[in-house]
Amino acid sequence: MAPVPFPEGCRCAVLLGFDFDGTSHEVGRGIAPLGINSWGRYPGKRGIARHMDLLEKHGVPATFFVPGYDAEQYPAVVKDIDRRGFEVAAHGYLHEAWDLEGDEEEGLLRKTDRILQDLLGKPVRGWRSPSGRKSENTMGVLKSLGYLYDSSEKDFDQPYRIRFGKGAQDYLIELPNNTYSLDDFAFYKFNLAPPSEVLEHWKSEFDAVIRAERFFVLTIHPRSGWGSGTPGRTQALDRMIGYMKAQPGVKFFSCTQMAQWCLKQGAALEELSFA
Amino acid sequence: MSQWRWPAGVRCGVFLSVNFDAESHDLRSTTENRLYGRFAYGRYGTRAGFPRLRALLQKHGIGATFFVAAADAQRHAEHVRALAGDGHEIAGRGLALEDLSSLGNAERGVLEKSRDLLATISGMSPVGFRAPGYNLSVNTLGHLAALGFEYDASFQDDDYPYLFDLGGRRLVEIPICFALEDGPAYSGRHSHLRLMKTWRDEFDAMHEAGTLVPLTLHLRGDIGSTRAARIAALDEFLSHVKSRPGVRFMQGRELAAHARSLGLTPEPDPATAHLETLKVTPYRGDISGKP
Repeated sequence: MAPVPFPEGCRCAVLLGFDFDGTSHEVGRGIAPLGINSWGRYPGKRGIARHMDLLEKHGVPATFFVPGYDAEQYPAVVKDIDRRGFEVAAHGYLHEAWDLEGDEEEGLLRKTDRILQDLLGKPVRGWRSPSGRKSENTMGVLKSLGYLYDSSEKDFDQPYRIRFGKGAQDYLIELPNNTYSLDDFAFYKFNLAPPSEVLEHWKSEFDAVIRAERFFVLTIHPRSGWGSGTPGRTQALDRMIGYMKAQPGVKFFSCTQMAQWCLKQGAALEELSFA
Repeated sequence: MSQWRWPAGVRCGVFLSVNFDAESHDLRSTTENRLYGRFAYGRYGTRAGFPRLRALLQKHGIGATFFVAAADAQRHAEHVRALAGDGHEIAGRGLALEDLSSLGNAERGVLEKSRDLLATISGMSPVGFRAPGYNLSVNTLGHLAALGFEYDASFQDDDYPYLFDLGGRRLVEIPICFALEDGPAYSGRHSHLRLMKTWRDEFDAMHEAGTLVPLTLHLRGDIGSTRAARIAALDEFLSHVKSRPGVRFMQGRELAAHARSLGLTPEPDPATAHLETLKVTPYRGDISGKP
């Protein structure tokens, strides 16, 4: 199948996704957010604001994936994300990085959706799994909540339609990401690469993508520790955005903007069916 | 929240601290009668490393903060007194690098006794504390405030020192940053060349942003900075830091006193919201160790 024909004049689509990952990440594991486990306090105190400043400086859109618990703990910060024109999407309740059984999954998806809707007074349009775990029930629940897209799959280099049932509307737009190469966590958690080295790595990824699938999804964590919230790592992100922007025809989208464009493509978009 | 202001003339403060962590560190993995061979990296720090680091700090005219477990201070009392004599700050780190989150009711006694032992040996009552392994119990901050400590330096959640309100008592928190610590990189067997690249990246950006620069070192021969090549790399890095405008090296006690002078709004104890959550939410303590 031919690559997706991106909007007129768009040589490469870039999606910047910021996973809030506040204290939910530790608290959900029963760990108090103290000392070495206090990293999750950084996004709400410093990281989110610093990254929004950066995005505003560059004039590019982005999507913030927010666990429900973090929205409860940092309501003003999450409201600010929305007020400053960035997209807020769902990311679990307590960043559940484990398989959810039975009704628990649906309950938590609905709980976080309600928290974000009540806080922002507008519908949530998308979801990214905390840690990438999904079940065969996940997509049906997301659809019933009115979501347009999921951004958790790792199986493709372009957006596509993911079908979970035989009904005409039983599909979502999938915006796949990769947490081994296009995620800050991969480097700052596991191999402690210097920010300038991470920047060179991402540039090399981008150079390859712009010659091929032309769809670039970068995942950032506004944390201290294993994220990019601190000044040196934010500077690497700053330079990466600048590098991408400097190339003609590169366009930035929020996930909802991309999903809405995908929905208009009908059969031009590849479909993967689990129905 | 962003009320932090540096003293006049300072663009960014550098908090150079050293986790002394000699035999106490090795004794977390072995016993007294086996402090040989692979468990001698702590001894390296006090024999080979100590004079090197002391001379380097002297050469650069830097006042540092040394966090010393009381048992290490007892074993190396002359070292501790030499550091105090050089003008370095001696601060608390428990009796023998205990995991504070595992002590239960014994925790307060451990903190109190380690404070008193350190005061006797060093000649100054410690006002600062850093939790071994950066592990705190939900009671640690409260104990520290009640025992008269002025500050803790174990969190990684901010760009500047800030205040906790612990039942009416104030405790300053001086947050650190793993990217500017030697231990994580050297325990991952990274070269000092790679670590210095990270430190340059991080420092240059922090200097531009005007944040606290928490540089955290160890004395040890394995995960520490005192081998000759690492000291040379550190020497070069410190020269780079000092060459930038508006840099001031500040000890923990100095930062804590400055933080208290600013009239900052204190933050609530982070353990409170956590304990509330545990009452109403199922959690998965069984995967607590996984990323």
